[in-house]
Amino acid sequence: MKAELEVKNEVKYKNKKKNTLSEQRRAYLMIAPSIIIIVVVALYPVFKSFWYSLFDLRLNHPTKDSTHLNYKIDLERYFNNYDLVSGALKRAVSETTGETKDKVMEANKKFLDISNTILSEKEVASKEKKVREIVFKFQPVENDKLKFAKISKSTAENAIQTYSDIMNSLSSLTIEGDGKKDIEKAAGLSEELRDSIIKPNFVGFGNYKYYAKDKSFWSSLGNTFYFTLISVAIELTLGILVAMIMNKTFKGRGVVRAAILIPWAIPTVVSAKMWKFLLDGQFGIVAHLLQKFHLVNDAGWFLSTHSGAAFSIISIDVWKTTPYMALMLLAGLQSIDTTLYEASAVDGATKPQQFFKITLPLLKPTILVSLLFRTLDAFRMFDLVFVLTGGGKGTETISTYAYKTMFAQMEFGRGSTLSVIVFICVALISIAYIKILDTDITGKR
Amino acid sequence: MKGKKFFSMVLCFILALSLFSGCGKKEDETASQGQKKEEEPVKIVYARGKDTTGANQKIVEKFNELHKGKIEVEYVEMPSDTGQSHDQYVTVFQAKGTDYDVFDADVIWPAEFAQAGYVLPLDKFVERDGINLKDYMDGPIKSLTFKGQLWGMPKFIDAGMLFYRKDIIDKAPETWEDLYNAAAATKGKTEFGYVGQAKQYEGLVCNANEFISAYGGQVVDGDGNITIDSDGTRKGLEMMKKIFTSKFVPNNITTFTEPESCTAFIEGKSAFIRNWPYQWAMAQDASQSKIVDKAAVAPLPKGSVRASATLGGWVTMINKYSKHPEEAWEFVKFMCGPEGQKITATVGGSAPTLTSLYEDEEVKKNPLFADKNFVAGLSAAVPRPVSPIYPKLSNIMQEEISKYLLGQQDVNATVKNMDSRMKQAVNEAK
Repeated sequence: MKAELEVKNEVKYKNKKKNTLSEQRRAYLMIAPSIIIIVVVALYPVFKSFWYSLFDLRLNHPTKDSTHLNYKIDLERYFNNYDLVSGALKRAVSETTGETKDKVMEANKKFLDISNTILSEKEVASKEKKVREIVFKFQPVENDKLKFAKISKSTAENAIQTYSDIMNSLSSLTIEGDGKKDIEKAAGLSEELRDSIIKPNFVGFGNYKYYAKDKSFWSSLGNTFYFTLISVAIELTLGILVAMIMNKTFKGRGVVRAAILIPWAIPTVVSAKMWKFLLDGQFGIVAHLLQKFHLVNDAGWFLSTHSGAAFSIISIDVWKTTPYMALMLLAGLQSIDTTLYEASAVDGATKPQQFFKITLPLLKPTILVSLLFRTLDAFRMFDLVFVLTGGGKGTETISTYAYKTMFAQMEFGRGSTLSVIVFICVALISIAYIKILDTDITGKR
Repeated sequence: MKGKKFFSMVLCFILALSLFSGCGKKEDETASQGQKKEEEPVKIVYARGKDTTGANQKIVEKFNELHKGKIEVEYVEMPSDTGQSHDQYVTVFQAKGTDYDVFDADVIWPAEFAQAGYVLPLDKFVERDGINLKDYMDGPIKSLTFKGQLWGMPKFIDAGMLFYRKDIIDKAPETWEDLYNAAAATKGKTEFGYVGQAKQYEGLVCNANEFISAYGGQVVDGDGNITIDSDGTRKGLEMMKKIFTSKFVPNNITTFTEPESCTAFIEGKSAFIRNWPYQWAMAQDASQSKIVDKAAVAPLPKGSVRASATLGGWVTMINKYSKHPEEAWEFVKFMCGPEGQKITATVGGSAPTLTSLYEDEEVKKNPLFADKNFVAGLSAAVPRPVSPIYPKLSNIMQEEISKYLLGQQDVNATVKNMDSRMKQAVNEAK
């Protein structure tokens, strides 16, 4: 009897174990979609940026405009110019005489030799016909798989050397008359042929090393921290004040609560443009009034000096995001039990005591969460600076610097490096906040 | 409770509103794209920087009239800051976008755009239609030729010029020193003595280039080597700072681009202005200008070595991924041909690149274009560094000179920094 019961218990136990296992699995299955979304939306771009940051990637450079790990040839560029060069060289041979002719013939021979080597590469040979067909119709080769063909390192280096030689020897020829145009054309287009050979542009951590020594980078990082620290500190102080006022019952409280959100609801670019007009040294009304009341010496100070521009950026940021901070803190204030205040009042606590002993400690988690959001936001400050100063007057932030590197100078490798650095900074800030939050909320010491 | 509901409703409303404000433009775009298919004529989109003279509108209208039913050009305006339009073009072309078929490019872009493969080489069209490139000025054609091919057509040529109020100033100043004294002496007559462009952007490089060259400095030599570290550069920059930090320029001169300085001048606020030739047409336009018939023009003053003006101007290029290259070329041919350039010259006030147009009576009505010295001056203008990494070099100059004008570093540090940073950039690009 006893044994039987034990067996039964065991079975029950086993069943239970089985159940929990499959339940666990089911749970994982349930959250699988969100994990996939996180990977696709959040992690993939980060990894992609990191991958790009390891390359010398320049979008306006003919051979560095995508990531290359191997030696390759850009068939579109190659076949676009190949026939032109061979034609120009042939004509140049027949048009010139004497010593020049020998030089041109030598160049022509070199050109034919290297062309044969390239065309006999396996991948080139297999794609030649298709690419030529497209190129002859003056259409771009849109398919990257067709556009690039792998070639061996020796062929690639040989080709680069040969085309440079042809280019140099042809441009050193000084002749007038018939052959001149063709020789110039062949020389110019040989450069195009040379640029169709692609070297691997993997540089490892080279871009990171570059920025370690780059003064503009350090100053923009410094500016970013400076703006973030000061503006978030002011926003927090003002935010608590505003939140406490809004927490009181008074007539028209709903209207005030809605109205205070207006700065936050206006898109940053629009409010930045607006403030740019208000603070303009010539016709800005705010700048003019402040000058009239002798708060500043010169209305031009706001946007045309370093200190003025920094002041304007921080003030506008404060103006814009204090409402957000206040709203977050208001939510926190409303969750504090009013009986606490009543009890403390009975015990004879003064208002400041109530604030420091009750409000502040209980508001701490909310404060930390809003600080986290605002710090991350401020750290990526872009639109305000871009509109107000364009990064001039020593107000470049890391985001505007990354934008310039990527979209004005087209250095995507370096730009991605900056983005990764921003990501690392942001990650460190969040980790720090979350650590503080964690100990604070769960009471771990 | 009721208050909270109201509050949340307002919140929702604001959020929804901001959503719509973001979407509005896109909807319009898709709507216009939908219409495209229904219409018969081929639609070409032509983009260029902000045009305050209205000349481009006229060119487009005229062209559309001539090709009614076959080709229709849609005109899109880009930001007036060339750097910003550059970034916008690059973003579109890098994505192989077909948003713009034809666009105006600053003379400093062709090398970069050609190397990146954003634009169509035009040699074949030029040859087929029998266009003689010798009819055009040399400088712009050279800036369009890269690796043996022609990448665009020259639309107009620009050079920095000095405009002044002839009712206030008797005689154009000979040297920058004279200009400084003359501008300082206008105190009380006009609000400002002199305006130029000193915001941290491309225009700052143009202004600085003129000072540097006038005092014997040179940014890049003929072989593409950086030669900026010289006493000429230092002297030029010192003069520049002396003027731009004087009492007679606007207190916020370091936020000025062309439109701001132009407005100050045509509203009669300044006695002198350094600007491009279009300033003349703007000053004579009675609908905007308060100084009609009061402006006069002169070459920029001399430094210790020479007088020099930055070469500017715009060229027209065709997007490589345009769906209608033939029609796009028709428009380019018209706009950069005699008819189009005549409108650009008479309405827009910009100097033609076709030399024959300087003999045209209507074009000659603008005293600028009738003046042989002006035409000769254009060919003597100093080009900015020709390089596929021009944006980077320009950015370095902008940053360092801006710092200098704001007093954050002295002239020696400025020149040394520019020299080392530009040399590094050139080496890396090799």
